[in-house]
Amino acid sequence: MADPVAWLAGLLGVPVWLARSVFAPLVYPGLLAFTVVALFIIWAERKITARVQMRVGPYYVSPRLGGALQLLADGVRIAFQEVIIPRQVERYSFILAPVLGFAVTAMALAVVPGGPGVYGFRSSVGLLVAYALLGLAPLLVVVMGWAANNKFTQIGAAREILVSVAGEVTLLASLLAAAMMYGTMDLVEIVEAQAAAGVPGIVANPVAALLFFIAALLIADRVPFDLVLGEQEIVQGPYTEYSGVLFALTMALDYLKLYILMMLFADVFLGGWMPFSDPLLGSAAVFAKTVALMLAAVFLRSVYARMRLDQVASMFWSKLFPLALIAFVLSAAVHPLYGGVLAG
Amino acid sequence: MEWGSRSVSRRRGPGVVRGHLQAIAAALRQLARPPMAMPLLEAEDARVPGYRGVIVFHYDRCIGCSLCAQICPSRAIKMYRVPGDKRIRPGYDVGRCIFCGLCADICPVDALETSIIHDRVYEDVPSMNMDPVEWAVWSKRILREEREPGRPRLRAVVDPDRGLRYERVEA
Repeated sequence: MADPVAWLAGLLGVPVWLARSVFAPLVYPGLLAFTVVALFIIWAERKITARVQMRVGPYYVSPRLGGALQLLADGVRIAFQEVIIPRQVERYSFILAPVLGFAVTAMALAVVPGGPGVYGFRSSVGLLVAYALLGLAPLLVVVMGWAANNKFTQIGAAREILVSVAGEVTLLASLLAAAMMYGTMDLVEIVEAQAAAGVPGIVANPVAALLFFIAALLIADRVPFDLVLGEQEIVQGPYTEYSGVLFALTMALDYLKLYILMMLFADVFLGGWMPFSDPLLGSAAVFAKTVALMLAAVFLRSVYARMRLDQVASMFWSKLFPLALIAFVLSAAVHPLYGGVLAG
Repeated sequence: MEWGSRSVSRRRGPGVVRGHLQAIAAALRQLARPPMAMPLLEAEDARVPGYRGVIVFHYDRCIGCSLCAQICPSRAIKMYRVPGDKRIRPGYDVGRCIFCGLCADICPVDALETSIIHDRVYEDVPSMNMDPVEWAVWSKRILREEREPGRPRLRAVVDPDRGLRYERVEA
């Protein structure tokens, strides 16, 4: 089976591009895969944090599975919870902002390839499209914070503005350094360049990879940069007033960002489906790399404490941004490694 | 010479990269260690000797002197007339009890004793107030549970290697 999506399209009698653009955002690497990953990652996060703190973590929902069904139980509870809309909120923005935020972010899954031939559409600027769609989410988060009309949400929204600007500049710098290194912005070509050269991007340009990882932690609101949520300070930041399904969406939004960014990391710096070229094995490789990266990201929660706002700002602008310039120089130096491959 | 500038040398921390690596390595080491929390639904905390739980009542030992009702600071124990019994007997309100154990101390015939159990669930408030016969029957159940616990009793022991360890305590 060379291409399972094409085979599926033939089976259903629809054009391949249509099957692709439905399969990728909805099944893999899209929402279905994300739901499974999110359930696993949140459980793993709680379990890892518990083990580092010498606790047991989720357990009694399913003792034989180590509490793995806890998240399903929580999901059922949240699904049946009443969505409370406080009197002082701006009603339509309050309801629509998390829905739109999640939808816009999920659209990035159409661009990020989850395996050889497994993508919604292929663009010569795929990297920028994914970045731009991710960059829209903070706007909706600010709308959430404003619409909820509550001091915690407004502080959270203000923090989101400051933090997302700092993080996205670093993220874009590392992505552009990678694009410069490979000589292309097409995500599929980037992976193919790494496969052809036999060197994953993290080896060629570790500085850009590190910057991407740190910026991804910030954009996905992970510890140590989770000051937008800041549970001990501002309840849940911009998400304070949400309950029920809307709260689940806001919570999923951060994990969705983490999922997309880590899949992007796997594609751009870890060589995507590198050891394989078969669609199924390749997809499995990308998926495994993504999950491993997400596990690393949630593990950091038990290592670090939250940074202050000024610490984050000074770290990103005065330490990481100069590093990005080094990453560009490094990219220029290692460019022949990949440039020759694509030209040939 | 400023104060302390010579004798006190400030310990320099590890560098940035080494510091992060050390922190991550420390968390990874912790990850490999077993949890030291007690599995609370599968075991229960062993009580120390002399633990003051609910008061159990031995009906056959009681002489009806009502000293317990007099000493009880929260009026959890009151004397009742029992049909067919010519002496008055103590009844017990767990809701009022402060588990001081004074009644068990003052009882001249040891008809009242402290148990090691105090975490019980009652269906409603009236069921916490027991007359002498109910109390005596209930006490038998509590005493049986004290002898044959449903869950193993564990005691926390400080272990230099693992932090806390739990060992089983026989009833």
